[in-house]
Amino acid sequence: MAGLVSIRNLRVRFDGNEALRGVDFDVARGEAVGLVGESGCGKSVTWLAALGLLPGKATITGSVMLDGHELLGAPASQLDHVRGGRIAMIFQDPASALNPVHRVGRQVTEALRLHRGMDGAAARAEARRLFDLVGIPDAGRRIEAYPHEMSGGQNQRVMIAMALAGQPELLIADEPTTALDATIQAQILDLLRRLQAETGMALVLISHDLGVVAEMCTRVGVMYGGRIIEEAAEADLFARPGHPYTQGLLAARPDMAGPRRRLEAINGGVPEPWNFPPGCAFAPRCTVMTAACDAEVPALHTIATGHRAACWRAG
Amino acid sequence: MTPLLEMQGVSRVYRARRGLFGTGTPVRAVDHVSLQVAPGRTLGIVGESGCGKSTAGRLALGLERPDSGAVQFRGAPMAAPGTAAWRAERAQMQLVFQDPLGAMDRRLTIAQQVLEPLEIHGIGTAAERRERLATLLRDVGLRADLAERHPHQLSGGQRQRAVLARALATDPALLVCDEPVSALDVSIQAQIVNMLTDLQAARGIAMIFISHDLAVVRLISHEVAVMYLGRIVEQGEAEAVFAAPIHPYARALVSAVPVSGPRRLERIVLSGDPPNPAQRPPGCAFHPRCALALARCRTEDPDLVTQSDGRMVACHRAGELARAAA
Ligand SMILES: Nc1ncnc2c1ncn2[C@@H]1O[C@H](COP(=O)(O)OP(=O)(O)O)[C@@H](O)[C@H]1O
Ligand SMILES: Nc1ncnc2c1ncn2[C@@H]1O[C@H](COP(=O)(O)OP(=O)(O)O)[C@@H](O)[C@H]1O
Ligand SMILES: [Mg+2]
Ligand SMILES: [Mg+2]
Repeated sequence: MAGLVSIRNLRVRFDGNEALRGVDFDVARGEAVGLVGESGCGKSVTWLAALGLLPGKATITGSVMLDGHELLGAPASQLDHVRGGRIAMIFQDPASALNPVHRVGRQVTEALRLHRGMDGAAARAEARRLFDLVGIPDAGRRIEAYPHEMSGGQNQRVMIAMALAGQPELLIADEPTTALDATIQAQILDLLRRLQAETGMALVLISHDLGVVAEMCTRVGVMYGGRIIEEAAEADLFARPGHPYTQGLLAARPDMAGPRRRLEAINGGVPEPWNFPPGCAFAPRCTVMTAACDAEVPALHTIATGHRAACWRAG
Repeated sequence: MTPLLEMQGVSRVYRARRGLFGTGTPVRAVDHVSLQVAPGRTLGIVGESGCGKSTAGRLALGLERPDSGAVQFRGAPMAAPGTAAWRAERAQMQLVFQDPLGAMDRRLTIAQQVLEPLEIHGIGTAAERRERLATLLRDVGLRADLAERHPHQLSGGQRQRAVLARALATDPALLVCDEPVSALDVSIQAQIVNMLTDLQAARGIAMIFISHDLAVVRLISHEVAVMYLGRIVEQGEAEAVFAAPIHPYARALVSAVPVSGPRRLERIVLSGDPPNPAQRPPGCAFHPRCALALARCRTEDPDLVTQSDGRMVACHRAGELARAAA
């Protein structure tokens, strides 16, 4: 598959603490790739940094290439064209992205004006089409509603419609269903799957829920302590996890089928950026760690075809 | 065995204006709910937000009075709120809920908060309480030195352990856990779930475990009740309900859980949002979203009927669906 986004050695510091410690990650055109890991491991910061959405105090180094063009340090005018145009991002909480005092339809027509230069009747017609596309019933009337008059699931659909307004080549969905009820989550995931198939856009699905990513993505990256620690095709990752953290995550999740078993908890907790261990960030919680793990950070290396892990013992 | 806790046809109606549905119309948050919990057993309650899980939990604890129906603890009606008998009952039943930071007093140390229930109920001497504190912290897996910290100096998982230590201080017979692990990361969630299972095995505590995470409920519960708009629509042995749910809503809910690998139930995607509880649809409240609804479902409200395997289902087509699922 042709490359679309290529992230290399991406590092982010906040107030002297390194939150991202060298992220390498690629997204190909049209693919659905998942990014999993527990809270604080750097999933959101990776994409906020890539899109220039972090506050000014963040120090960012490394490289983020979109179709061969560097995004880090790119002029604001170029980033404005990329954000919402070529790459759109949706978040867990639609309320934070929608303007409470504007009607939802107007927010979509505004995005259409910005990214596609559409105005007036053409923009309104396109907004309606997008509302239909994302499955908002009675689109003609709902376009006139304010965010607070819609349910969480409907607002998430509005946010997706806004994201689609720029006809993006890549949609970053950051925990898009985490705040939603199970049956509504199923609806939104279905919608994202359908839109991806229809538009051919690539999807990066960020989630702490391994099941969500398993269902939606063909490839998965696992993050821990500000790095990608494992990356593989979805089926390989779940069948043959190589990194002890990935193995731990899978064993800690209760199953919906099969015999009920005691969960295997991972000891301890996720490290904070100000007290990352010197070597492998997972070493203090790892049951198979050795002296080498404390001494040096293991590099992400190939352990099988299309399967990489950052553990000395994997492979 | 006499159940430790029994709710019989309990209803709770809110009339207050609240949130989105601030129309002043009464909301039947809990509608004719009957359930039982035996010592040492766990009843899971699942369903989407607003279906009445938390209200059912508060009614079970006697923190709220039902508008109709009866709640019995150890075979006797609950004492009237505010009385000495009611306070004594409080020590027997404890609530653990999702947001440990919200449940704690930021100004007090962990030790002060854990010991508070003992002080309120006048249990033990000062020396005995210190000893009890050490035991409780050990039981929930908190280092002794954390006792002198304040809530914001602990991680989310440690705070949830501290809240549990406080709930266990009075050696309760019943714990109502309302989304106790929902805010925690998977690895920490597993630690807390294991701890709850171990505590139950060691102390014979009865639990009502409320969660929207079906996989966790399946693991921890002996029995499960699925709620929709204030009613129980399916109730039975947890493994049976999750393996082959009968009620169309229960099926949609179980099939909506994302899994890796092949799924056992075909995914059913419901159309539409859950209805506004203040405008409960006539007939079966689920019929507007139900792909299997018949004309009868639009007018006639189904009763919760016991099926051949002992499961209870509130659906006109339950018999037919149970046979198809078997
Ligand atoms: N604006 C910020 N200022 C300081 N620290 C931040 C900021 N945003 C994120 N962080 C820190 O960066 C780390 C990674 O965060 P994030 O990417 O949000 O994690 P997640 O994987 O949960 O999305 C965390 O330790 C977080 O506290
Ligand atoms: N104190 C209250 N006053 C008014 N309405 C309430 C109150 N508590 C809950 N409700 C309403 O009762 C219904 C059930 O709420 P709740 O028991 O919190 O559901 P759940 O825990 O399943 O999300 C909801 O419609 C909610 O808005
Ligand atoms: Mg995040
Ligand atoms: Mg609740």
